[in-house]
Amino acid sequence: MAAFDYAPVIVLLPFLSFLVAIGTAIFARGKNVLPKGGALPGIVAMAGALLLSIWMFVTVEAQGAYDQTLYTWASGPGEGTFTLTFGVLVDQLSAMMLVIVTLVSLLVHVFSLGYMNDEDETGLPRYYAGLGLFSASMLGFVVADNLLMAFMFFELVGLCSWLLIGFWFREPGPPSAAKKAFLVTRFGDYFFLIGVVAVFATFGTSQFSPIGGMEAFPVLAEEALTGSAEGINTFGFDAATWFNIVGLLVLGGVVGKSAQFPLHTWLPDAMEGPTPVSALIHAATMVAAGVFLVARMYGFYALIPTTLAIIAFIGGFTALFAATMGVVKREIKQVLAYSTISQYGYMMLALGGGGYVAATFHLMTHAFFKALLFLGAGSVIIAMHHNENMWDMGGLKERMPVTYYTFLSGSLALAGIFPFAGFWSKDEVLYETLVHGLGGSPLLLAAYAMGLLAVFFTGFYTFRMVLLTFHGEPRSETARNPHGVRWNVKGPLVVLGVLAATAGFANLVPVEKLTGANVDFLHDWLYHGPETLNGEHYSTLLHDVAGYTAADFSVLISAAVSLGMALAGVGLAWMLYNDPSPEEHTAKLGAVKDLWYHNYYQDEFQVWLAETGGLGIARGSDKFDQGVVDGVVNGVSSVSLFSGSRVKRVQTGVVSNYAALLTLGVVVLMVALGLYGGWFL
Amino acid sequence: MSLPSVTATLLQSGGALPEWTALAPTLALALTALALLLVDSISPETKNNALLAGTTAVGSFVSLAFSGWYLAAGTGQSGTGGEIVLYGEALVVDGMYLFFSAIFASVAAMVAIASYDYLAGKEYQGEFYALTMLAATGMTLMASANSLASAFVALELASLPSYALVAFLKKNKGSVEAGLKYFLIGALSSAIFVFGISLVYAVTGSLLFSDVAEALGETELVGVAGVGVLMIAGGFAFKTASVPFHFWAPEAYEGAPAPISGFLSSASKAAGFAVAFRVFVEAFSLSAIPEGINWVILFQILAVVTMTLGNFAAATQDTVKRMLAYSSIGQAGYVLIGLAALAGGASSQNGDVMGAAMAHLFVYGFMNTGAFLFIALTEHWGIGRTFEDFNGLASKAPMACAAMALFMFSLAGLPVGGGFFSKYFLFANAVFAGFWWLAALGAINSALSLFYYSRVVKAMWIEDATSEFEIRSKPVGLYAGIMIAAVGTFLLLPAFGPIIETAQTAASALFGA
Repeated sequence: MAAFDYAPVIVLLPFLSFLVAIGTAIFARGKNVLPKGGALPGIVAMAGALLLSIWMFVTVEAQGAYDQTLYTWASGPGEGTFTLTFGVLVDQLSAMMLVIVTLVSLLVHVFSLGYMNDEDETGLPRYYAGLGLFSASMLGFVVADNLLMAFMFFELVGLCSWLLIGFWFREPGPPSAAKKAFLVTRFGDYFFLIGVVAVFATFGTSQFSPIGGMEAFPVLAEEALTGSAEGINTFGFDAATWFNIVGLLVLGGVVGKSAQFPLHTWLPDAMEGPTPVSALIHAATMVAAGVFLVARMYGFYALIPTTLAIIAFIGGFTALFAATMGVVKREIKQVLAYSTISQYGYMMLALGGGGYVAATFHLMTHAFFKALLFLGAGSVIIAMHHNENMWDMGGLKERMPVTYYTFLSGSLALAGIFPFAGFWSKDEVLYETLVHGLGGSPLLLAAYAMGLLAVFFTGFYTFRMVLLTFHGEPRSETARNPHGVRWNVKGPLVVLGVLAATAGFANLVPVEKLTGANVDFLHDWLYHGPETLNGEHYSTLLHDVAGYTAADFSVLISAAVSLGMALAGVGLAWMLYNDPSPEEHTAKLGAVKDLWYHNYYQDEFQVWLAETGGLGIARGSDKFDQGVVDGVVNGVSSVSLFSGSRVKRVQTGVVSNYAALLTLGVVVLMVALGLYGGWFL
Repeated sequence: MSLPSVTATLLQSGGALPEWTALAPTLALALTALALLLVDSISPETKNNALLAGTTAVGSFVSLAFSGWYLAAGTGQSGTGGEIVLYGEALVVDGMYLFFSAIFASVAAMVAIASYDYLAGKEYQGEFYALTMLAATGMTLMASANSLASAFVALELASLPSYALVAFLKKNKGSVEAGLKYFLIGALSSAIFVFGISLVYAVTGSLLFSDVAEALGETELVGVAGVGVLMIAGGFAFKTASVPFHFWAPEAYEGAPAPISGFLSSASKAAGFAVAFRVFVEAFSLSAIPEGINWVILFQILAVVTMTLGNFAAATQDTVKRMLAYSSIGQAGYVLIGLAALAGGASSQNGDVMGAAMAHLFVYGFMNTGAFLFIALTEHWGIGRTFEDFNGLASKAPMACAAMALFMFSLAGLPVGGGFFSKYFLFANAVFAGFWWLAALGAINSALSLFYYSRVVKAMWIEDATSEFEIRSKPVGLYAGIMIAAVGTFLLLPAFGPIIETAQTAASALFGA
């Protein structure tokens, strides 16, 4: 098991680069000590982490999964107490995620050389420190072997996003966006925190899988529902009801981090951060953390069909809801932001619809093509001298071909066009939801319908973006003479461009159905995990406990339908915008345009909620705090000080008074105790 | 015994050394006192402070070394045949004696080192150190007393030098006045104490603890015995500065030379508890004493009143030294929990509670002595006495002020020094013993104490200086004393485990006997 001894190093390497960079930022301020402002330590650390992750991946393939408690930081004495630990769980799911996160993070580091260093940004050590800590937190989250540890790193991820979104803190926008991201995700995290406590209170453990005498809470939950529960406290509820409550509480954190409706509002604003950071947030870290958490504890969610249906419905709704808003945006990063929300909606749809493998698959392909699109957008933004408005672009195809072709690859993947990566994964998401919906769950069918409709919008906004940015005639002076980009921008784009085109071959389910060849590699991979953490176990649970049944339906028809929807969207975009000097057609939408342009007035609505409800509650608690709590505290202190000053007066300084008081005290005590003990009888 | 009892060698009780050597911690102190007197009689006017302070410190360290060695080797403890009884059962050597001797010797050493500077240029230095050592000898005897007679003699041996030490600054009105008041209250308390002893003797016909316990179990004179027990408790309350026998304390601590204030409030107080613990556990054992004499209630009352009064009065003081004096009364209230949270019968909790109180006294020996030595330092520098006079001191003397902040926070029970764990264990064990309300009152009082302790820290570190300090020198001895106390206080945080285990084992042995 020698390979796995190095698993914690994957987390520690980027943390080390964080320490180096932050140390430089603090102790050598203004001096150019680190080469490339800290980028090189970061790149070396991430490259090392990537190599180690690949090693883990290979080792998991060869030897199976690894779960080890590294450090017990609190343990209670005896029965009924909790043991809190840090541990590393490297199984099929987390090994895959490790490779994705380290790869994307490495490419983002390299790209930052072009986006930050070459643009002469200041505060680079701080930037690379943030990237390092961000990567370390996410990697720690991925390998966490219990829910509490996962929560801690989940929070660290949130902290890092705050640091990086607000990187340009001297401008007005970024700090405000950073605060919003922090507060909105924190709102969800409150529920998650209560959920963690609830898991402990219910099961007495938060391990994901059983290890060395500690039981795993998904397994305990399964036993509770199948009839052999012992030592589980459901607080007077029916076990299934209580598990739904716990599941929904944890889901609060997921909805916040993965930017699902109604806590999605932070994500578009987060575009204020540097573009490489957006790539990292959207592809591999922050936003992915939410979905990954559900996948990590899928053994628990697979037991509670009500919560699953809610997850699926939220996912389907968010997919459609966000896609419509992406249709009218003018800034390239805004379009991508809404596409991210929408795509994570698909993953949630898959998880809720019983498609564990599909969700993981889409998580992977999306990581590649969304990182690609953001880095491509970053490249365009460099070229456009940081003008992000697509209506000032146009015609960049000839001037930056590498960016164009790789961006096109990512866009085809995002739109779900055969045979790019997104096609395979999105198709599987929809297919899994459809068959389970047809198997007897109308709610899933509704979610499926929304997801399917969103495919059309996705195709449309994606190609509207591509056409406006790269095709037609240049619509501004900068677009005619764009700023060039160097290898450090093109390199990551090419790597990701290839992956966006080919990553889908990891799980060719329709091809397998068609030809019978055994090509669903990811499916096989995820079905061979630890006993209670693999896809096969989950599908058994879904069938036996949650009552999910899959109807018999041809995957080809499903794939054809979704491909048709995507092509229709692309075609419409082509019709409207493939013009040397395209016009805005948004006015044709009428009132809907305003609605979409203002994001369904969600921001306004939430501000209104906060100002009416939230502020009222805040005022009330402030009154309570100032009046009752502080009043009691102040009262106690003035009473103490007053009685203290009285006590002081007893100390007269006259020794005969003392003697009198002393004797009196003895007499009082004697009388009191004497009466009590009956001495005088 | 948590310390290596496996390697315990039979030093005494049939081992390599004669039995009387078990009293070595006391003998070392007594011999040091005699040596100092000898020096003093050869050259009465000597101002060779280095020789005097050095002899005292060495004597204290030797005593401390004996205590530590015996504790580790298991002298007088269950591992090597139990307690060693000497001189017709007048004295006893056991874990508790050794534990408390270690406290007294540590405090005496710190006081001696600090006095090197404090006494520089003053007269009658030989007497000062000799009296300190004699008092320390008396304290160790208090911890080993096994009969009411030896308890009384030991108590007086500790008290009489203390009166003289408080009045040591002969030209200082405050010092002389404090000494006289201390003496008068002491005389009254001793009278009450000895009267109590006579009543108990009248009932039981013996002064030996074991005989007293036996006879009390069969007595019909519950009233007489009860009054006697109460009056004996009064004698100890005087020594521990517990309400209502506390009146001398603020004045004596304020008027005395600051090292002596530290000595009295740490070591002398601990000695009072040492003898009180033994007398009440052995002579007035809860398992033997008649139903009517419920001294646990008495100590509950004393604990509550003492900690509340001490803390409330401390909160309103204007001068730092007097605040420390009252806070030391409050601290005595916490330690009284060690007697107040006991239950009848052979409950193992009893040993744990009392052990926690002993461990608190141990930590207290360092942090409280250190705090008074810091006051000694400011007196040496001629800085005023009020809180305001300390404003901005940290900018001039950061090391000493950091140490003082450590003492203050540790006294308040914050986890920067051993005071956190000792208080925590004390309160926690009170809760385990079922006296959660005592612990709750203690916690409330601790919260209040944080207020006045942090006033000192705030003045030193946060406020700006209102006047110029003239710090002429950094006295080596005072600094060394403060730093020893600071390092001790700090190290007792990580190293609290062995202390509490030793204390609880020693206390449990007392209950087991």
